[in-house]
Parts: sequence; structure tokens; C-alpha cells
Amino acid sequence: MDQSEFRFYKLSFLLPGFLVLLAIILFPLLFTIRVSLSGWDAISPGLDWAGVKNYAAVFGDIRFWQALWRLGGMAVFTVLAQYVLGFALALLVWREIRFRRFFRVLFLIPMMTTPVIMSVIWRTIFHESLGPANDFLSLFGLGPYPWLTSANWALASVMLVEIWQWTPFMFLLLLAGLISLPREPFLAAAIDGAGPVRTFLNVTFPLLAPVSIGAITIRLIEASKIMETVYVLTSGGPGTATETAGYYIYIKGLRDFEIGYAAALSITYLVIMIVLMTIIAKLLVKLFVGGRA
Amino acid sequence: MSLIIDNLHLAREGIPHLDGVTAEFGHGSITAVIGRTLAGKTTLTRAIAGLQAVDGGSLRLDGKPFGGTPAWRRDVAMVYQQFINYPHLSVFENVAFPLRKRKVAAGEIARRVTAALEMVGLASFGTRRPTELSGGQQQRVALARALVRRAGILLLDEPLVNLDYKLREQLREEFRGLLKDQTGAIVIYNTTEPSEAMMLGNRIVVMHEGKVLQAGAPAEIFDRPASVQVARIVNDPPMNIFSGIIENGAILLAGGLRIPVAEHLASLPPGSYRFGIRAGELRVGGEGDASGKVTFSEVSGSETFVYAQAPFGDAVLQIEGVHAMANGTQLSISVAPDRLFAFSAEADGALLAAPVTGDAAWPK
Amino acid sequence: MPGLYSSLKYLAVALWSVFVVTPLLWALTTSFKTSNAVTGGPTYLPWLQYQPSLDGWRSLFGGAGGIDIVKPYMDSLIVTGSASLISIVLGTLAAYGLSRFDYRAGFIKNTDIVFFFISQRIMPPIVLAIPFFLMLQFLGLLDSKIGLILVYIALLLPIAVWIMVDFFDGVPRQIDEMAMLDGCTPFEAFLRVVLPNSLPGILVASMFCLVFGWNDFFFAFTLTFTDTQLLPVAVVALNSSVTPWWSLSASALISVAPLILCAFLVERLLSRGTLAGAIR
Repeated sequence: MDQSEFRFYKLSFLLPGFLVLLAIILFPLLFTIRVSLSGWDAISPGLDWAGVKNYAAVFGDIRFWQALWRLGGMAVFTVLAQYVLGFALALLVWREIRFRRFFRVLFLIPMMTTPVIMSVIWRTIFHESLGPANDFLSLFGLGPYPWLTSANWALASVMLVEIWQWTPFMFLLLLAGLISLPREPFLAAAIDGAGPVRTFLNVTFPLLAPVSIGAITIRLIEASKIMETVYVLTSGGPGTATETAGYYIYIKGLRDFEIGYAAALSITYLVIMIVLMTIIAKLLVKLFVGGRA
Repeated sequence: MSLIIDNLHLAREGIPHLDGVTAEFGHGSITAVIGRTLAGKTTLTRAIAGLQAVDGGSLRLDGKPFGGTPAWRRDVAMVYQQFINYPHLSVFENVAFPLRKRKVAAGEIARRVTAALEMVGLASFGTRRPTELSGGQQQRVALARALVRRAGILLLDEPLVNLDYKLREQLREEFRGLLKDQTGAIVIYNTTEPSEAMMLGNRIVVMHEGKVLQAGAPAEIFDRPASVQVARIVNDPPMNIFSGIIENGAILLAGGLRIPVAEHLASLPPGSYRFGIRAGELRVGGEGDASGKVTFSEVSGSETFVYAQAPFGDAVLQIEGVHAMANGTQLSISVAPDRLFAFSAEADGALLAAPVTGDAAWPK
Repeated sequence: MPGLYSSLKYLAVALWSVFVVTPLLWALTTSFKTSNAVTGGPTYLPWLQYQPSLDGWRSLFGGAGGIDIVKPYMDSLIVTGSASLISIVLGTLAAYGLSRFDYRAGFIKNTDIVFFFISQRIMPPIVLAIPFFLMLQFLGLLDSKIGLILVYIALLLPIAVWIMVDFFDGVPRQIDEMAMLDGCTPFEAFLRVVLPNSLPGILVASMFCLVFGWNDFFFAFTLTFTDTQLLPVAVVALNSSVTPWWSLSASALISVAPLILCAFLVERLLSRGTLAGAIR
């Protein structure tokens, strides 16, 4: 069989997209690395050479590491909450409930909306004196709470918004997974007299392990970029209470215009993310699949 | 004028799929390629179709090199094992597809497609979708599409294997008629069943582990299988093979069974051999030469297959009629001396002597 | 007790439904308010607690003290639409190649290439924003639609590839082969036989690309200013204490309204089982 003509077709399918992506991503990435080795800032713009000075500074930048740690905590907590809630919701509207389709559509809505725009609305909701959040809680004699002006409350607000926004994603993936499950294992479990809890633990959950892993991985990757919500809701505040790594780098790079330093921060951030994601992906597989022989 | 395949080699991950395959397929011939699963039949077919690159060897059609042409320019039509049709097109459009691709005139297309659909018995199914059809009907659509092109080479890769037994028998008859009508085309039909091969082909190629073991007319292959391996492949149930020796003018099998040397074996020198006898040619009952114990029996259609442990080895017998044979029943088995094949005791198991033809129990 | 169990289920569903709907309903009522209805404390019910007015909505179209929502809408449509289209075309082609052919370059195999595409999503936007900013500035493409479209292709192409590879894997390879034997080149086989059988996949991929593109804020924010204004940026720019809440709410609602329609579409695909193929 003639290889060369076939090869022409092979390559013409893959190369256009591959090369376009490579071009748009690779050059900026290399450029960022180069910039990170320079001392480009507002005072002295341009590509000079600063060696690893920026990276040394990153190492000692407490604010950055705090932001990173904060981001990690937020990401893990929100994704976990989204997973549990999403799973519960998927199970609820899976089968024996009325107006299933209505609820399914409803539950999908948040993830379709523009996150930033919703954050704008949430900001009005969390307003201490003019917003419905405190108003509603005052009915129970609770509050008023400093949703956006006190450190821990601000964190909670950001996470609440994230959970509102992205639980539907987990919900969607898990529901799709549930819908495509075969009936047989459930019939077998019913015959064996398993109740809803046992059926869930021994049939539903293990069968959805691959979907769970995929969904959690994807959500963790996306959650590691939390920045827009913070920007709109709290501007990183109060102080730096809700500052995530992405937000901090944005301030340094595009507001204070310390571009060289921000580039070094970005690269550090990227490398840490890649390493963490790989580890987490492997851990997840172990957790969901390894434990059950 | 023919399709000549010369010394094809193909190995993947160290395992040879095609191991020096050489064969010739003439115009107007219907060749049944028979072999067990993983014998290389499908690989060979795909190589001919141009869907599989080979590591070495050549293909020539009518003297011209064939291997360099990409699949879409070869004049080859194929019917797969799985029912492959275009799901998004109607039955009519499915069959018309190759013609439309070749820019045949619309009127001509309509004529040929209708004729093809009639040939496979699906004349009124033109507007349906393949997904609405049963397995047998889908395969017929695939066949119609393959036939409508009047391609020079027609390949069928175990097309009936995914259908149920009754349907398979029925379609086998229909195929036989249809394939005979393909005048001038080179037809290659892959199968694992000897009866199918004998019925459909006017030529047989026996493949095993990527090699061609024997090629020739059905009668020749059936009456004179070139080796133990061929004998096993072209008989269903596989031919019984027993080790034995010829000594002092008699055949001695394990367990002390003595069989007189029949005329066709007379010229063989004393020594070790492997003797073969078909399942249908072992007789049961009567005086018998030996006694065997039934280990398993199975009724199939109007025959009973009995697996027994005899002193000379494990044997499978094919008996006419339906008989209830409980496991453990003692059977008296006799070996007809004039139905014995003699093969070499060496690894190649080459045929040394075969019974005279004429009484052969032809597979149905 | 089945009765209790069932009630609990409906209760849970109801609670979450309220949670989902709250911000949207709040925005809805707020968009009809005027200053009295806001400054005195939160109000909820029109006519009962405040007098509704159309001020908020009127301001969307350039009225007094208003914003022009039409331009951002158009800009978003053009940028997102173009970037999605290009991403889908290139991504589908690449995905087909990755699904059907064996690519090998040294130790790099198909799965590695697919991973390369998908792993682009790990890239935090800030990492790319800085160089994109500098590069677009250098090319004179800052604040332009074209510059943004290029950037968006980088974001959306991986999504298209990720989804389409899965869908193509679900179409039996033999159909391509049959088309080739019938005389189609690999490209014709792709176009005439595989593509028509992958329309659900294209639909899903297009939808994801459009939604992700439409909802981007960060890149639009850092790379555009006045000439090109995308919707999310325009709305967030209103997020100052100067803009009245009713205009804010109206503009927010009108921006997310079309996306809510997407929720219907996704549920449709879900119930029909189409999405089961994409989700792995």
C-alpha cells in the first residue's frame, strides 16, 4: 500500500489545528520565560537580562505563597462541595421524580451563565445593608453579616458563588453518567435485597468512578484559575484575605506593571499546577479505582 | 489474467500475521479461503483491499503492480463480517453510493440499484434506513452495494458469521447463486467452516498461522489434505489423528489395537506414523475393534457427535440420527482400514497416503 | 417510610431550586426599581413594595445615564462566533486524524498529542495574558477583534478536539474504510460519511465553544479597552458605585438570557443520550 499519499492525508488532518495551537501557545510561553528572566517593569521597560533574580524573589514572596495556599484550599473545598451536591442532585432528578426535565434544565442554568456577570449580581446580594442576603437572615434573627468586608466571610462568599456557579457541571457529568448506566447491576442488587444506601455504595458509586475522576479533575483544573469572581466580588479583599494566586499575579503584572516579576510568578504558578495536577490525577484514580479490587 | 499474491509478510509486535503468503486468484474464480480464527484470512483480505499496509511482498493484478495503489483507486469491493452500512443514508442511497461517487448517470444508477436490490431480495426496502433492518437484511444491503459496482475483485470476509444458524443456511444458498453470476470477477470468500467453503468455492486456499498450507480444487483438498493441519482444518469435526506404527504388515495403534494394512497404505515402510480418520468414518456398534468410554455427546441437527476415550486416543465420532448417549457409556468402535489416512510422524505431518476417493462422506 | 423519603427528596430539590433561582430573580426585580426602592433597604415585590419602572431597561439602549448594550453584544457575537467556528473546523479535522490515524514522532504517540491539546486548559490565563498583551501590542492588535479571536482560538481549540475525538472514536472505523473502497479519498470519507454521523458531536462541541468563549472575561479584560468591548467586560465595568443597581441588573440579565436557552438545549441532548458519548 502506498504510504506517501496516505501520509499526506494523515498530516493534513492533524497539522492545521496542531500548528495553530502550537503557534498561539508556544511562542507566548517561551516569551514569558524570557520575560521572567528580565527586569521589565514600568520604570525600565524592555528585555534586559536579570538572570534568576525574579525567581529568587518569588521564593521569598510570602504573599504569593499565601495566595497559592488559599487558592488550594478554596479549590479543594469548592470542588468537593460541588461533587457531593452535584452527585446528590443528579441522583435526585435521575429517575423517580416528577417534572424531572424542568428541574434538570433549572439545575443546569448556573453553569451556562457568565460567571463574572453573575458575580456582579451577587455583589448586590451580599451588600450588607441593601442586599437581600442579610435581609433574609434577619428574618431568623441572624446577622447582619459582613459578607464582603470581613476576611472569613469574604472567603465564604467567594466560595458560595463558585459553588452556585459550578455545581451544575458536576451535576451534568454525573447525570449523563447515571443515564448511560446499564440496568442489570441494579436489577441484580434489587434481587439481592439491597436498599438504596447499599445499592449506591456498591453499584452506583463504583460504576461512576471513571466519570467522577474525570469530572473532579476537570473541575480542579478550572478551579485552580479562580480569579474573576475574586476580582468582581472582593477585589482580593479585605486586604489580601481573598487573594488567589492568579489575582495576585494580575495585580503585579498588569496593574503594578512589574512584568518581569509577574512572568516569573506565572511560570512558577504554571509549573506547580502541572505537577500538582498530575499527582492529583493519579491519586484520584487510586482513590476511586484502586481501593476496589 | 489474475491476481497474484507473492510472498506477503506482515508482522505486528513480533507476531506474524502474514508469513510468506503466496497465492493466485484467477478471473472468474470463486476462492474460499478457509482457516481458523487468526489464521490471517482477514489480514490478507484487507491487504488486497488496500486497507492494510504489508511489510514485504507484492500484489500484481494482470501483471501490473497493485500494491502501490491506494484503496480508493483499487477496483475492489468488500463485504465485512460486521454489518457495515452507512447509517445516515437510505438503503437505496447506500447501494447507490459507489455509483454516485463514480459519477454514473442518474438513470443508470436507478436501474442498477433496483436490480441489485432485487438480486438480494430487498426490492421494496429502498427507502428504509439500515438501522431499521434486521441483521440478515443489513448484510444483504452490504452485499448489494458490493455487487452493484461490478468490481473486478469481490472480497467477502466471513459475511455470515454474525447471523444465526437458520439465516446463515438460507443466505449461504442465496450467496452461492449470486456469486456464480459475477462473471469475470475474482471472488474471495473467507470462512472458518469447511462446509461453507466446499459449497461456495470452486477453489480452496487453506491458511493457518499466516501461511498458505494448501491450495486447489475442493475435491482435491478434501480427499488429499496435504498435512495433518490441513486435515484438521477442512473437516468438521476435525479429523481424528492417532499415533501408531506399521510393523509386521499391520498397523498398531496405542492401546494394542491392531488394524490390517489396507491397499492404499501397502507401500509404506514400517515405522512411526500418524493416522487419520474422519469422525463420520468411525463405526459404532457391532463387533468393534475397541471399546471406548463416552465423555461427552452432543446432538446437532440430525446427527450426534460423540466424544469418547478409546485406548488408542481421544476420538470424536459422528453418528447419523439422534442418539442419547449418557456419559460413561461403553461404546464399541471400529476403524475401517480402508478409510485411514497416513501422515508423517514428523512435525510437518505431511500426507503420505490417502484413501481411494469415491466413498468419501461429502460434507453437506 | 416511603412517604417521608419522597417528601425529603422534593424538599431537597425545592431548596436547591430556590438557591439556583435567587440571584436571577433578585436581578429581575431589581432591574425594575428606582432609587427609593434600593436605598431604603432591600425590596422584593413590585407594586407591593415599590413602584416598578423601566428605567433600568431603557438605559441599556443608550438612554440617559445609560450604557449601550448593543455594541458589546455585537462584538461578543462576532468574536465568539468567529473563534468558535475556526476552532471547530480545525479541531474537528485534528480530532478525526487523532481518532483514525497513528501518529508517531520518536516516542510521541497519539495519546500524547491528545493530552497536549487537553492540557492547554491547565494553563492559567495569567500566564498567557502577559505575553499576549505584549505581543498584541507589538503587532498593533491590542483592542482589536482579530487579536482577541486569535487568543480565543487557543482557548477553544482544545475543547473542540477533546469532545470530537471521543465522538469520532464512537463511529466504527469500518465505515470510513467502506467509503474508501467505494472510491472516496480519506478526506471525502470524512466529509461524506463520518461527519454526517457525528452531527451530535459537532453540536455539543459548538455549544461548549460558544459558551466558554462568550463567558470569558479575563482575556477580553486585559486585551481590549474601547474599540472592542465584549459583553462581560462591559457589564463588569458598570460594577462601580456610580451605576445604579437597576441598570446593572438589567444589563446583567440581558447578557445571560441567551445562555439560559443553552440550558434547555443541553438538557435535550442529555435526555437523548447524546452526551453520554462525550462524557468519559
